[in-house]
Amino acid sequence: MTEARRSHFWHSDGRRLSGLSTLLLLLPFFAIIAFVFVYPILQLLVISILEPHPTLENYARVVENPVHMRVLMRTLWTATLVTALSVVLGFPVAYYMSRAKGTVAALVAVCVILPLWSSVLVRTAAWSFLFQRNGLINSALMALGLTSQPFKLLYTQSAVVIAMTHVLLPFMILPIYGALRSIPDDYGRAAAVLGATRLRTFLEVILPLSLPGVVSGSLLVFLTALGFFITPALLGSPQEMMISTLVSKQIREVLDWPFAAALVGVLTVFVTLLAIIFSKTLRFDRLMGNAS
Amino acid sequence: MNIASATQSASGASIRISRLEKRFGAVSAVDGVDIDIAAGEFIALLGPSGSGKTTILMSVAGFEFPTSGSIHVDSEDVTYVPSNRRNLGMVFQNYTLFPHMSILDNVAFPLKMRGLRAAERHARAEAALATVRLAGYGHRRPNELSGGQQQRVALARAIVYQPRVLLMDEPLSALDKNLREDMQLEIKRLHAELGITVIFVTHDQSEALTMADRIAVLKDGKIQQIGPARQLYERPTNLFTAGFIGEMNFVGVTVESVGDNVSVTLPWGETWRLPATAAVEPVAAGEAAVLAVRPERLQLGAGSGGQVITVTLSDIVYAGAALLLIGRLPDGTEMRARIPGASQLCALAPGDVASFTVPVEAMLLYRGSRR
Ligand SMILES: Nc1ncnc2c1ncn2[C@@H]1O[C@H](COP(=O)(O)OP(=O)(O)OP(=O)(O)O)[C@@H](O)[C@H]1O
Ligand SMILES: [Mg+2]
Repeated sequence: MTEARRSHFWHSDGRRLSGLSTLLLLLPFFAIIAFVFVYPILQLLVISILEPHPTLENYARVVENPVHMRVLMRTLWTATLVTALSVVLGFPVAYYMSRAKGTVAALVAVCVILPLWSSVLVRTAAWSFLFQRNGLINSALMALGLTSQPFKLLYTQSAVVIAMTHVLLPFMILPIYGALRSIPDDYGRAAAVLGATRLRTFLEVILPLSLPGVVSGSLLVFLTALGFFITPALLGSPQEMMISTLVSKQIREVLDWPFAAALVGVLTVFVTLLAIIFSKTLRFDRLMGNAS
Repeated sequence: MNIASATQSASGASIRISRLEKRFGAVSAVDGVDIDIAAGEFIALLGPSGSGKTTILMSVAGFEFPTSGSIHVDSEDVTYVPSNRRNLGMVFQNYTLFPHMSILDNVAFPLKMRGLRAAERHARAEAALATVRLAGYGHRRPNELSGGQQQRVALARAIVYQPRVLLMDEPLSALDKNLREDMQLEIKRLHAELGITVIFVTHDQSEALTMADRIAVLKDGKIQQIGPARQLYERPTNLFTAGFIGEMNFVGVTVESVGDNVSVTLPWGETWRLPATAAVEPVAAGEAAVLAVRPERLQLGAGSGGQVITVTLSDIVYAGAALLLIGRLPDGTEMRARIPGASQLCALAPGDVASFTVPVEAMLLYRGSRR
């Protein structure tokens, strides 16, 4: 079982590549990862504790200052909210995609994937037009007589959450869709013939088996949301800063690299803890177990 | 759902499939199939790939609704009843155990859907696991069992709520040969113990012949023949079944006259007189026909009580209990013979010309021509 699941590289004549040659093939990839990812992060963490001199002062400044803690909490909360909204909005779409056939399926897939081809900036700018005082949303609300005064939509946290959800939704839909597609049709049939209604088939079989997709989509969205920059910067209120904006301020305006590094350090710790909790509580290997 | 009746009635239900038709666009997957299945009968659906076996089973299970026709279980019309209310058992080709549940929860699943409390459903699931000889495996996960064990769990899950019909779509084709034979016995034993009605889909004819009370041979969505194994083998009712079940020699002939006897001319000019009973299908004088005979019915050497043919041998294959002789008739038609006991045959070699006797009662005559 484990042997079959492990992947190997093969010679063109069918022999398996030795461990060393495999390592050699993978080396460039790991080298790039080490160079552009591991090294800078370590460098940042080093700066955060060694500058201006070996100290935890920078971290103390993050934790002790309620303003900074509020930024951190707001960031975590926003990312959580965006993730939750993405699950709620994304799951039905993914489910529908996995069921649809032919032209309809293609159409839905295009609707999900097409936005990924335009830049985040374009999509964020589009939202800022919609949210303006005299933008489409306010005009529509007033035309319908639902409100006499235009709402303040732009430069609010709600605007940030809505736009971020929109931007990140495909990253939730695609993994869930993948998980749903990998569930053989016979599971649903087996449940039905064993006496399960459609709802129970969904709740007891389909949903649990699609959880790995939900979890990886959630991690993807949550982690991306934590560091999201353009959308909060363009649509958010300056009074309700997110951590990416704060870090950018520290680096570009205050030029306080060690403090920015400490902010990133705190975030990294949170994210690592979260990843550990996720992988411990949800046994992926078990869930994926036997979907042959 | 009525649990009381489901737990008490252990015997099978009768099934009547009437003029069943299923079209997918232009494809006629099932084309006017009639099958009457008695309560407790074990019936196999046998046919080449794409012959509509799965589609028939899906219609009985309620996953597909037929284009026309009807399905009755114990005189109740279930044609359009959703699967979860048909109370049938089903075993799939790929086990389909739910990977996120333990073995015990898998087997208890149908009982959970029927509203049984945890203690009772687990007790009954344990009992069902014991009947497939997997007692004590309940706490494991499906991926911790071998293929054969998984299929036995699937079997336990399909019978734990005591359905009166068990449907199986190639349940053994994912297993290796030895396991397959074990499972065939296991399924036969369960069938005998429970008295349940079984519809068993397979494209393995030896499986169908050994397991089923009756076999329905399908081709292009139509039933070719339906009957017990012996009847199918001894007297196939058409050319397709004759060629599909077991090995068969075919010789194209021309019918000379039809009366108390049937006279046919063989390709090399000889004329044979066959008893009228040899004609499985009605044949007419002057038309082409096909003469069929099983390889194991040929006798080596010229004898009485039959027609003698001369065969130029091309291959002699030692096949354990029997010897397989392959050669050509004077007109080039291939002829195979299976001769039991090898002692007298040491003298034969490829290239030799051997005589065989074809017993009159072994000859079957069909209308039309091969290919
Ligand atoms: N969902 C479907 N859509 C279109 N055509 C289908 C569908 N299901 C089956 N068919 C067609 O109907 C015919 C019968 O298929 P079916 O699966 O019943 O054959 P089978 O006898 O079970 O074959 P196999 O031995 O390969 O399983 C085939 O020609 C198949 O292509
Ligand atoms: Mg099939």
